[in-house]
Amino acid sequence: MKLNTFEYFLHETYLSLKRNSWMTVAAIGTVAVALFVFGMFLVIVMNTNRMADSLESQVEISVYLKDDISQSKIDEIGDKLREMQGLESVEYVSKEKAIEDFRERLGEQSYILTALGSDNPLPNAYKVKARVPSLVATAAKVIRQFDGVEEARYGQDVIQHLFDITRIARIIGVSIMAVLVCATLFIIYNTIRLTVFARRREVAIMKYVGATDWFIRWPFIMEGIVLGAVGGLIAAVFLRLAYRFVAKSITDALTFFPLIPESPFIYTIGFVVIVSGICMGALGSTLSLKRFLKA
Amino acid sequence: MIHMKNVCKEYENGSVALHDINVDIEPGEFVFIVGPSGAGKSTFIRLLLREVLPSSGELYVNGKDVIDMPRSEVPYLRRELGVIFQDFRLLPEKTVAENVAFAMQVIEAPRRTMQHSVNSVLDIVGLRPKYRSFPSQLSGGEQQRVAIARAIVNKPSIVIADEPTGNLDPSTSWEIMDIFKRINAGGTTIVMATHDKNIVDTMKKRVIAIEGGRIVRDEAQGGYGYEA
Repeated sequence: MKLNTFEYFLHETYLSLKRNSWMTVAAIGTVAVALFVFGMFLVIVMNTNRMADSLESQVEISVYLKDDISQSKIDEIGDKLREMQGLESVEYVSKEKAIEDFRERLGEQSYILTALGSDNPLPNAYKVKARVPSLVATAAKVIRQFDGVEEARYGQDVIQHLFDITRIARIIGVSIMAVLVCATLFIIYNTIRLTVFARRREVAIMKYVGATDWFIRWPFIMEGIVLGAVGGLIAAVFLRLAYRFVAKSITDALTFFPLIPESPFIYTIGFVVIVSGICMGALGSTLSLKRFLKA
Repeated sequence: MIHMKNVCKEYENGSVALHDINVDIEPGEFVFIVGPSGAGKSTFIRLLLREVLPSSGELYVNGKDVIDMPRSEVPYLRRELGVIFQDFRLLPEKTVAENVAFAMQVIEAPRRTMQHSVNSVLDIVGLRPKYRSFPSQLSGGEQQRVAIARAIVNKPSIVIADEPTGNLDPSTSWEIMDIFKRINAGGTTIVMATHDKNIVDTMKKRVIAIEGGRIVRDEAQGGYGYEA
């Protein structure tokens, strides 16, 4: 592409966007809303996926001990655990250590614990790590039978539920995203079709004097790209603000909810949203030109 | 230059516009296409521009096989053709000079030659002084002269005009014809569809008459042949 041709395209794109300024604003607005919701579902789907992943890869079993057993019994259980096959590590966590850890995890909200006074409701426990996730269920079953063991807990049952939830979230999310992609495409398709229609005389003359299809197409495609990119940019900015806000409310309410940290995650999402906007802009305008250029 | 052999054109709705057309037009010729409305003149012009394809037959324009031509080649065929319409088809928001330059811009002509070419074609049609006017500020004849300047700015070998004087009064029409004569004298082939008896009779050029989709007359120095 020659430089002055490129300048010409830029100029034409600018003129066209300016000439139909109200339509441009409306199209960018709708594209922004659609891409924002698109990005939101992307965030939700990725977060639930990550939650499932992190739980699934958990190989830790919490072995809670009965409160009324002696220290030698506790040590005996520890030895038995260490003798078991398929376990990677066994670590003793006394009830004092447990409440200290909990206090740390609560951070600023640790004042909650003052309500307990001097009572410590947490049991003594062993933290056992299986070598592979598939061994967790069997190991827990065996350990549960040990004398002096109150309960052996692990994440798997939660995981099963979570899997169901993530699968549903993924299906719903992906189908809504697909609908939104179509909606965005349609908005851009229609907008460009209107601008092509507004400039049909010009296009007809271009064809008569021998402009190539690509020469005719480029300014419109660039227009579509601008609509998609600006809409995407707006959506990305709002997504970042929204994520910060939601993340803050969630952490305030549920301290240890494993939300994906803001950076670089939300920037990646923003990038994806903008790039999708650009692609849909290019595709939408190409589609709207298809019928027009045929004759 | 233009070679048509047994060309037929049947539209998709079944109506037959042209029947067994055999025409050869040599470089530098000046040809009038005459005939009643709806006889097939427009289809004849549209075939040359490859706006429509013949249903059968052979069609060469400027040595190129129009029928076998891939779509991507069509723009390059049209660059060798300058086309002029009855209704001028200028862009109202562009000035005279911009309208002419537009034809060069869209075929990506080098910018340094643009100014020069635009000026020289505006000289040919006598509109250089009005280069900054908008089409709405010009008379019909002047607008048609701008359209001619645009048609010839890329130095086509054939100029195709579809009733270029149809909207103009007789004296203005003659101004237009003078320009065509000059362009033709420079070696450019001219194919002009017209209803203007006076012009055809006076010019004494080749006349091809089409009636009911067939060529009924092809005379070297013909007259209009119909009552005006």
